[in-house]
Amino acid sequence: MNQRSASQVLGSEKQFRAISYTLVFLMMVCGLLTVSILLHNLLPGWQSNIAAGILLFILIDRLYTYRHLKSLTPFRSEWAMALGAQWIVIILFSRLLLSYANGPAAVLADLSLFAHGYFADLFTTEFVITLLLAGALWYLTGQYLDLLDEIGLDMKQAIDEDPPRTSGEAIPAHQRMGNLIFTTGVILVLLAALTRIDVQAMQAGSVGLPVIVWTRFSGGEAGVLLYFIFGLALLSLSRLMSLQTYWNRQRIPVSSHNLPRQWAWYSLLFLLVLGVFVGLLPAGDSLGFFSVLGTLLGFLFRVLIFLSYVIVGLLLTLFSLPFLLLGKAPPFVSGAAPGPMPGLPMQPLEPMTGNATWELIKSVLLWGALLVVIVYALIHFLRQHESVAAVLRQWRLVQWLTLAWQWLYTHADKARGDLARLVADGWQGIISRLEGNYILPRPGWINLRALQPRQRVYFFYLAMVRRSGEQGLMREPSQTPSEYAVRLGQALPIVSEDIDSITAAFVQARYSRQAVNSKEADFVKSTWERIRGALRNKRTREKDTDQ
Amino acid sequence: MSGTFLFLLTVLLLIAAFMRGDFALTLIYLVVGALTAGLWWSKRALAQVRTKRRFNTHAFLGERIKIDLQVQNEGWLPLPWLELREALPVALVGPDSFQSVIHLGPRGEANFEYTVEARKRGYYPIGPLSVSTGDILGLRESQQAVMPVEHLVVYPKILTFTSVKIPSHSPQGTLRHSLPLFEDPTRTFGKRGYVSGDSLRRVDWKASASVGQLQVKIFEPSISLETFIILNLNAEDYYYRSRIDAEELAIVIAASIANWVADSKQMVGLMVNGRDPLAEAGEPQTIPPRKGKRHLMRLLETLARVESHDHSALTPLIEQQRYKLGWGTSLIVITGRADDALLNELYQARRGGQHAILILAGRDGSDELSRQRAQTYGIPVLSIASERDLKIWMQRSGGA
Repeated sequence: MNQRSASQVLGSEKQFRAISYTLVFLMMVCGLLTVSILLHNLLPGWQSNIAAGILLFILIDRLYTYRHLKSLTPFRSEWAMALGAQWIVIILFSRLLLSYANGPAAVLADLSLFAHGYFADLFTTEFVITLLLAGALWYLTGQYLDLLDEIGLDMKQAIDEDPPRTSGEAIPAHQRMGNLIFTTGVILVLLAALTRIDVQAMQAGSVGLPVIVWTRFSGGEAGVLLYFIFGLALLSLSRLMSLQTYWNRQRIPVSSHNLPRQWAWYSLLFLLVLGVFVGLLPAGDSLGFFSVLGTLLGFLFRVLIFLSYVIVGLLLTLFSLPFLLLGKAPPFVSGAAPGPMPGLPMQPLEPMTGNATWELIKSVLLWGALLVVIVYALIHFLRQHESVAAVLRQWRLVQWLTLAWQWLYTHADKARGDLARLVADGWQGIISRLEGNYILPRPGWINLRALQPRQRVYFFYLAMVRRSGEQGLMREPSQTPSEYAVRLGQALPIVSEDIDSITAAFVQARYSRQAVNSKEADFVKSTWERIRGALRNKRTREKDTDQ
Repeated sequence: MSGTFLFLLTVLLLIAAFMRGDFALTLIYLVVGALTAGLWWSKRALAQVRTKRRFNTHAFLGERIKIDLQVQNEGWLPLPWLELREALPVALVGPDSFQSVIHLGPRGEANFEYTVEARKRGYYPIGPLSVSTGDILGLRESQQAVMPVEHLVVYPKILTFTSVKIPSHSPQGTLRHSLPLFEDPTRTFGKRGYVSGDSLRRVDWKASASVGQLQVKIFEPSISLETFIILNLNAEDYYYRSRIDAEELAIVIAASIANWVADSKQMVGLMVNGRDPLAEAGEPQTIPPRKGKRHLMRLLETLARVESHDHSALTPLIEQQRYKLGWGTSLIVITGRADDALLNELYQARRGGQHAILILAGRDGSDELSRQRAQTYGIPVLSIASERDLKIWMQRSGGA
């Protein structure tokens, strides 16, 4: 690799790093938003805003110091000092901010505790949870940056002509990046779901399913949605980076110099189209799918609670028996008797919206989405487990289904092809009529006597092309009449002169303004008849040979 | 990645069932939409790529051949990246082959130009062109398609003769000859006075009237040199240590002689017992003697493609062929080694009025023995161990 291309790659690597770090920052911020809203919802007394601020500071610090920490050898004194100093600052800073949120008196009280050596008292639940979240954020951000660095380092390796570090069987860095984005997404989705639960109502003592607050998008959920959008953007960027690394390693030159820019435009367009698509599709409750599924899951949940009550009740009764025998009241009397056994739901919950057509569309879309997921999962599973697929293939039902699918696929494909051809022919016909440059009237209506001499020449030449094509001497779309004549002449050497003659007549009739008279057309006809005879003989010979 | 994708979808579906809100549903749309669109894009993108190669399919040795490659996106769906890898024979390009990465917008087109060098005669595949692309998210492995192979024919080396002594007994040709037996009435050489015994047909009446005495035309003797080259590429008939070089030399000799004969506006034909990759049964067709440049190119094409073959004896082929050739045809047999059967066959041809010449290509310890045997049969033998020998022969022939 020459100096110029190496510097170009390094330059683009810097840009990639800047954009990818920004995207990681935005994704983490979205995550923090969800976590802080959850904290606020679950523990209203805590300083969730302050905790979120501390976490944001740690995120920035992690992004800023990552390269430096990475350059140090792990578990060496320098590394331990840098890391230790950083975490001491983080711990002190967090403690100070959490104390300050409760007022200056709280800060003084904490300092007093620190001065007197009551360190354990400083580690409140709120502080410990904040530290745990800080640790998780530190680790998660590091994971993202590690993966990005791996892709970036691969690029350097390619430039330095070193062998690739990862083995062929290892999961590619880009794929691991995808897994990390979606795994973090799953956790965030669960956390966002928890933000909907009304904890105060639960604390009030309701039994059964948690009380869910019905609102449109909450802040946490919006954070998750944005996280996924930024995640997809990061995935797209890491794809480009991994491809560039691969191309550098394979020494494949990139001819399109604006490829990264175009890639960015396509990514934005892709996300925009996706956003529009998601925005246009109906959301909210659906009478078909979610009501049924929700009712079913609710029933199962209630059955589980009922069973747990029964088991606990039985156990308590067993433990109460010795006390009852001694004539004493058992110390753990359970006042709450198990409720009645939940009955089967007779009808699903009512949908939240009323328009039946709208509901039907939503239902169809949702069932369709579910079907896609199930089919995709099945295909994926069968691809990964070839043995299962092999066993399934031996089942008669599967064989029938396969045959039916093949039949359906073939016919559908044929029908699609026919339809496309019809449309193309129709379109061509319209265009030809509009332009008035058709060379022959519509097939099926040809009356040779009614044709002009020029058109008769066309007719005989096209008849030759068609008949020859039927005998396996098809004219390639790229072949000129002369090229085709050479090919045909080789296959039919007896009439090669006639082929040349009819081709010359056709070329003259088609591409020159010279008048074509009836005599010439008759001559072409007689030529065509000789060629037709030769084609017939050829076919007869081939049949005899086959027999 | 798809495993995590499915897990995420399952979680979302469960949450959607519990929550019955916009959030989970929107996320399902987003995730399923990204997955479906990504997969569709990568699959669809490749189907709309068309490639076209343009180059001279025939080249002479040492020529540089420019290959134009056109890549076209026939659809409206853009291709964020397209990796092109052209497989090219090492004999034409060395270790580097053409490869590139491009981006193609809707209905976009890219043109490339690269050159290959015809370093060795042969029939070379240009391609296949491997084309890979994929979606921008990398949800699916890169999709790959292979575009068809085209072929390049590199003609064998041709050494230009000024003159070669190839004997012929075919009268009435275009080549000047020393024997008055082959006088050609169309080639008037001069005039002389009539002597008793001269045919009246030879009298030039106009000249006689002008001079006042009977004048007769003197005709130049000429021959027609119908040459049939028989090239033996049976591997067993060459000395094993120098087999490859000797076979290539034999091909160069055949091509050079064919070129000279065709340049002399004489008929030349070819029979070779090697393997032709284009022939139906693998064996090249015998090309009957014809005149003209087009015919010469056909011969050279066959010589470019033909490869050495095992267990393909030459003698039975000559036996079949010589009956189809005319009286007086010169048979030039180019081989590495001549056994009794071959010499006997050539002797039979000589007896049948054809003129046989044996050219031994390459170095073989049995050359002298073959030469002695051939002399016994009355067949002229020429030993050409290298191209240098061939040039010396050319000079001697030219000087003679």
